[in-house]
Amino acid sequence: MRMSLAHRRWVWALRALLALALLGAGGAVARWGGAYLQRLVILFLINLMLVVSLNLFTGLTGVFSLGHVGFMALGAYTSAILTLPPALKAVNLPDLPAPLSNVTLPFLPALVAGGLVATAVAFLIGIPVLRLSGHFVAVATLGFLIIVRVVLINAEAFTRGTRTFTGVPPATTLGWAALWALLNLYVAMRVKGSALGLQIRAARDDPWGAQGVGVALGRVRLVAFLISAFFTGVAGGLWAHFLTAFSPNAFYFSKTFEIVVMMIVGGMGSISGSVLGTLLVMGSTELLRNLEPGISIGSITLGPLYGLSQIGLAILLMLLIAFRRQGLLGDREWGLEPIAERLGAWWEGRRAERVSLRVRKADP
Amino acid sequence: MRPLLRWMTLLLAVLLTAAACQPSPASPPPSPTAAAPAPPSAASPTPGAAAPIRIGAPFNLTGGMASIDVPAANGARLAAEEINATGGVLGHPLELLIRDTKTDPATAANVVTQLIEQDKVVAVIGFNDSDYVLAAGPICQRAGVPFITVGATSPRLPGQVGDMLFLAPFGDNVQAAVGAEFAFEKFGKTAYLLWDKGAEYTTVLAKYFKARFTELGGTIVLEDTYQSGDKDFSAQIAKVKALPQQPAFYYIAALPDDVGTIVKQFRNAGIAGPIVGGDGYDTPLLIEVAGPAAESVFFTTHSLLTADSPNERVRKFVAAYKQKYGTEPEAVFAALGYDSVYMLAEAIRRAGSTNGRAIQQALENLRDFHGVTGVINYSPQSHIPQKGVTVIEAKGGKFTLAAERVPQKVPAP
Repeated sequence: MRMSLAHRRWVWALRALLALALLGAGGAVARWGGAYLQRLVILFLINLMLVVSLNLFTGLTGVFSLGHVGFMALGAYTSAILTLPPALKAVNLPDLPAPLSNVTLPFLPALVAGGLVATAVAFLIGIPVLRLSGHFVAVATLGFLIIVRVVLINAEAFTRGTRTFTGVPPATTLGWAALWALLNLYVAMRVKGSALGLQIRAARDDPWGAQGVGVALGRVRLVAFLISAFFTGVAGGLWAHFLTAFSPNAFYFSKTFEIVVMMIVGGMGSISGSVLGTLLVMGSTELLRNLEPGISIGSITLGPLYGLSQIGLAILLMLLIAFRRQGLLGDREWGLEPIAERLGAWWEGRRAERVSLRVRKADP
Repeated sequence: MRPLLRWMTLLLAVLLTAAACQPSPASPPPSPTAAAPAPPSAASPTPGAAAPIRIGAPFNLTGGMASIDVPAANGARLAAEEINATGGVLGHPLELLIRDTKTDPATAANVVTQLIEQDKVVAVIGFNDSDYVLAAGPICQRAGVPFITVGATSPRLPGQVGDMLFLAPFGDNVQAAVGAEFAFEKFGKTAYLLWDKGAEYTTVLAKYFKARFTELGGTIVLEDTYQSGDKDFSAQIAKVKALPQQPAFYYIAALPDDVGTIVKQFRNAGIAGPIVGGDGYDTPLLIEVAGPAAESVFFTTHSLLTADSPNERVRKFVAAYKQKYGTEPEAVFAALGYDSVYMLAEAIRRAGSTNGRAIQQALENLRDFHGVTGVINYSPQSHIPQKGVTVIEAKGGKFTLAAERVPQKVPAP
């Protein structure tokens, strides 16, 4: 009993330390980091949300979704339409129906609305799609992505069709992105560890067995799908208010591929793996992109190497598939508990040593 | 597996440290004096060699836009080298920082932020599509850095971005007006209109064409759409064939990738009338794919780039491009990239400084600038040049000059 209390104290101390470190890092980036670094961090946080949400569904249920970028698009367009000032709406979206054309919401409600629209659509398509299993879900969700794109292109009154949707207020700050990303991480962690998460994972590992002990396969999958769609929609809204101009082309295969790669690198089913995967993929692409214009090592100059970042990513993926197919972390987590355990053991050891020293000193 | 995990973690740590250090390769660290937008004469870190004037040049060198962005970047590089060979600008060489933005608007915005913040560029040229201009433009606008878009032709861009943005090409409303006027006079009062719903450029082009053509008194007998990437146009062709009387000409707004296929299928179906289009037709693909079917195809574009052009500037440009890159300019955007750099150099020269606002003022007052793609005039009211439009006819497997015109009236953007 005493042991577990000490253990919990260690965990809390580590959590506080981590929170302080994150807060410090965030503050430092906001205070001293340049605009470029801040952009990278915001983009990282948004990508992180997309990857964690995708992982929350795909990693836990084991069925592959290729349609999540569709939810991102719904969140982006919904929140952007809601925050666009009426004057700009009159110019950019002259055919917008009446209640929408003179409504302007603040940033937060618009983001939540974007998430909710994504959730509602996920509910509608989730009921039929999640009855399928395995590769069929991947194909069906891919179909959903294509449908979203066609709808975006043709719903010109709402989206300007293929033309660039522009004039979105640049409301996504580092703080907003960090807040939502942390919330997303927290929810994902809680879901994974909850009874629901255990049911979902049981259904993944042994569908017949899980159904045998009373897990409603379709329902638990649907819940994961809905949570995942909500945060993907919010991430889309953050992305829209970060970039301020976008068109349906942004929400298609290349974005899907980008997110899937980050998830696979980190490990399907691991939340901390998602953080690691996003960090590694974004870090290496950005680093290699900075080397593209040319590198000089001593007197040797390597000329411009455009496309280096894509090649680097491809090599990273090949290495990973060759040596560690389950991704960096597989479906394990980098938690604070094992560290706390080790720290606790070390502390206990030292105390025991001191006690024994004192005993020995007193002995003669 | 454990050691490997550790190894990967180590690699990650190294990568992150390196990323945090943010190397600016192949360039000396910016001196503190260069950080301020002062006249470059104030900032020469080494006496003797003048500090270069840095110009950001973001282009989509990989991905879907590469076929026209790479020639544009090549044209820009050629211009910068020519200018440096003749002594640079205000005694300083130009340094063109060409960056790949991977046909991704988010990367475009990041790259432009980095160019402005870390590389301290005095101006930016680049991009051939409005998606990227609209992602990067507001950043330049906020930082007070002039931005010339090499090839994005949407006439609404300056209104959407602000007064720091300039277009090197004419607006789509201008070329659509010329297309409508030219075809109205030459072919007649009835037209068939087909456009690609999958792209902003084609949508807008068709809209302006229709506005100008009906204003002239013409009638659109049939209007139809398709989606970029469609390979089969038999449905559209069947509707055209079902018309009681064929129109005088066919206006088809298409992207470079689809032009050849459409023309070929229309001709194979026995539709022989003239086909008219915009600068999306200005690609070698038209003749490569459509072959002899490309006869009697007319399109509006920025310039006719041939080695035997009557225009001396064009001849010189084509020869220089061929000498440097071993091929004739692949697309007219090469000439626009070339003109953009010369225009910017001229503006810096006239401003006598590299201050963003001073360059912007000089660009606004740029008149009678003779470039490869025509005479460019800007004004404080218009950041889109009023230049002539070239009409090209595909004849005998070659592009030939059909007309050079200025529209009588331009539809409002």
